[in-house]
Amino acid sequence: MFDNQHVVIAGMNLQIDSGEFLAVLGPSGSGKSTLLRMIARLAEPDSGTIRTEPNGDRFQTAYVFQDAHLLPWRNVLDNAALPLELMGKSRIERNEKARRALEQVGLLAALDRYPAQLSGGMRMRVSLARALVTEPRLLLLDEPFAALDEITRFHLDVQLRELWQRRGMTVIFVTHSVSEAAFLANRAVVMGRSGGAIKLDRILELPSIRNNELRSDPRLGQEMRLLLGAIEE
Amino acid sequence: MKKTLLPPLIPFVLLTLIAEFLVRQGFVRPYLVPAPSAVLRAMIDSRVELVHALLSTSAGSLAGFAMSALTGIAIAVLLSTSRGVQRAFYPYAIFFQTVPLIAIAPLLVIWFGFGIQTVIASAFVASVFPVIANTLSGILSTDPPLRDLFRLYGASPLVTLFKLRLPAAMPQVFTGLRVSAGLAVIGAIVGEFIAGGGLSSVVDIARTQQRIDKVFAAVLLASLLGLGLFGLINLLSYLTLRRWHASEQTQ
Amino acid sequence: MLSHRILRRTFLKTAPALGLLASCGKSSKIRLALNWKPEPEFGGFYAAPYSKHGLDVDILPGGAGTPTVQMIGAGSVDFGIVSADEIILARSHGNDVIALFAVYEDSPTGIMVHASRNLASIGDVLKEGTIAIQSGLPFARLLERKFGFGHVKVVPSPGGDITSFLNDEKFAQQCYLTSEPIAARRKGTAVKVFAVSDIGYNPYTTVLAVSGESLRKNPDRAKAMVAAVRDGWRAYLDDPKAANQQMNQLNPTMDAQTFAEVAEVQKPLIETEATRRDGLGTMSRERWETLIGQFKELGDITQTIPAEECFRLL
Repeated sequence: MFDNQHVVIAGMNLQIDSGEFLAVLGPSGSGKSTLLRMIARLAEPDSGTIRTEPNGDRFQTAYVFQDAHLLPWRNVLDNAALPLELMGKSRIERNEKARRALEQVGLLAALDRYPAQLSGGMRMRVSLARALVTEPRLLLLDEPFAALDEITRFHLDVQLRELWQRRGMTVIFVTHSVSEAAFLANRAVVMGRSGGAIKLDRILELPSIRNNELRSDPRLGQEMRLLLGAIEE
Repeated sequence: MKKTLLPPLIPFVLLTLIAEFLVRQGFVRPYLVPAPSAVLRAMIDSRVELVHALLSTSAGSLAGFAMSALTGIAIAVLLSTSRGVQRAFYPYAIFFQTVPLIAIAPLLVIWFGFGIQTVIASAFVASVFPVIANTLSGILSTDPPLRDLFRLYGASPLVTLFKLRLPAAMPQVFTGLRVSAGLAVIGAIVGEFIAGGGLSSVVDIARTQQRIDKVFAAVLLASLLGLGLFGLINLLSYLTLRRWHASEQTQ
Repeated sequence: MLSHRILRRTFLKTAPALGLLASCGKSSKIRLALNWKPEPEFGGFYAAPYSKHGLDVDILPGGAGTPTVQMIGAGSVDFGIVSADEIILARSHGNDVIALFAVYEDSPTGIMVHASRNLASIGDVLKEGTIAIQSGLPFARLLERKFGFGHVKVVPSPGGDITSFLNDEKFAQQCYLTSEPIAARRKGTAVKVFAVSDIGYNPYTTVLAVSGESLRKNPDRAKAMVAAVRDGWRAYLDDPKAANQQMNQLNPTMDAQTFAEVAEVQKPLIETEATRRDGLGTMSRERWETLIGQFKELGDITQTIPAEECFRLL
């Protein structure tokens, strides 16, 4: 697709299976975010198509941004319930579902608080809950944990992986971090420097249980080296 | 409270004492600059007249300001709906800012007559533009990811305007209101010079009688009115934005 | 406290110099401040042969609200145009301003009404409708005292603008006999003017004034100024054309025809029995005393001011 007369992605062919946890890596300018926005239908490709099957209710897709982007004049509960509110659901239904989503990210105690009173990590968790509240089948994340400190990031990585396993949704996770990609995903795609040719498409050889012990497992390091190599080419 | 009120009072008190000393000792002639004690005496002696005048000017300023706030926000919302509408009509909004009030005040009198309605019109003309400009800027500068979020879940432009863009613009709306408040007072005073009444009338009569102490007293009250209105807006802003102030800085 | 007095005198000497225009050094350029735009009421000042009397004069046009009486007191101008009532008020506040030459022997202030109202006297004007008047002026308060403002709506004087007057038949307006009535007649509206001097209030108007300090320090200059101004008014009364042209260039808001008309209409206010006897610009103690008495009656001044301190005939 073109972005102000500059080719962002050209000649890309990618198939993603249902239930996959896909990490998308690549240097800056490789078009990772653009790809994600196109999948979310927030941007249209100039040529080519993006198909989702089954092509049902479009609200099956949820998006998590790099910053939490909560509405500062609403409390945690109303923020998490926002997607359902925009879809026209009743207050009772959306509050109930929002509560459940917030419970899943461990924020049930903070329902009445406002974004200004939350830490960065907590805000990101609200953003996650907001994405999950519609029970999406496709979850798109664009470097969501990049602005957080390492410990919070590790926590959220584990939480995200658990949520994915519990719900059985498809996750596409764009990231700069090779270690995060390797820790989270079962498949990783590395995009080229300019114009999006895929440099590497690999199923990661790692156990399906991802916990903090994996961080010191040599197999993780191996995958990271492979991914890094592809990026630096 | 102490932190905000005390520091500005100190230079004021110092200045007053210095001025009093200079006039009493004859360094400055009392018919050019009145001694603060003379201004105070004028305020006490003419308190009935001054209070009456202050109430009248306050009413005109507040009414004009209220009109500016409501109309200004409404116009900004309309302008935000399309680029074309903006390009066509925004220059006319700027007209309200740049037109010399002193020049059109006589026109306002011809259209609206002598009385408080002209004062309100004058206050409105003087103060509406900052509301339009700031509100529009606030509406147009909503975070793109938030706009994406609303789009993702199928929100119509109207829903996005009232549930996202307008609430998100509140800090800038208040900035506009803050500027507008002071201008409304100035506009009311200019209107009064031509249409009569209020503190302007007191200033005009006192000036003709060469009662410079009374002139200062009236001018001081007018400044306090502007300050009071400004403070009121600040209070409203604090109450409304209290919950989300911190997040403004970090996000 | 010798040092204190020296300090005070020095300060008083320097303070006026810190006024509006920086008088760099002791320039010989004399500043004369007008209290309105250049119009026939100032004709003689523009026609005056200043250089013949050894003077280099800069005439500074004014406008609405120019504070000439304060400018004289502050020392930012050497001479200024004020009215006699302003001088009395100024002197009561300690501002030592002295009158030297009165252009208008009789006050040109009046109340203008639509002729169609068929009003007989000034009191009838206040029975209904609207009156635009400068409420702070003594004559306004005299009117209020004598007739009461209970039945008329009082609004600020529009300062020469007659639009509201033309639009409303019941609108009466403070005016100069030489100005607004002419403009109104031009616009096709017949008017009647009641002179304020008819109710007995008749201050000298368009008066050349100077500060007491300046007069004491430089009496010869003041004398030369008065002589030049007197010559100028004589010349202007005889033939106003040249000065009118000069003033019209400075003030294009009035057309040449009006300039000529006003110059003619104002003559009886300038040249009277008294001036034919004692010279143009003359003033009498009796007139000043009457005026001071009226101010005292109104309560605008608390102590009587000696009439002879208000003016000087040079």
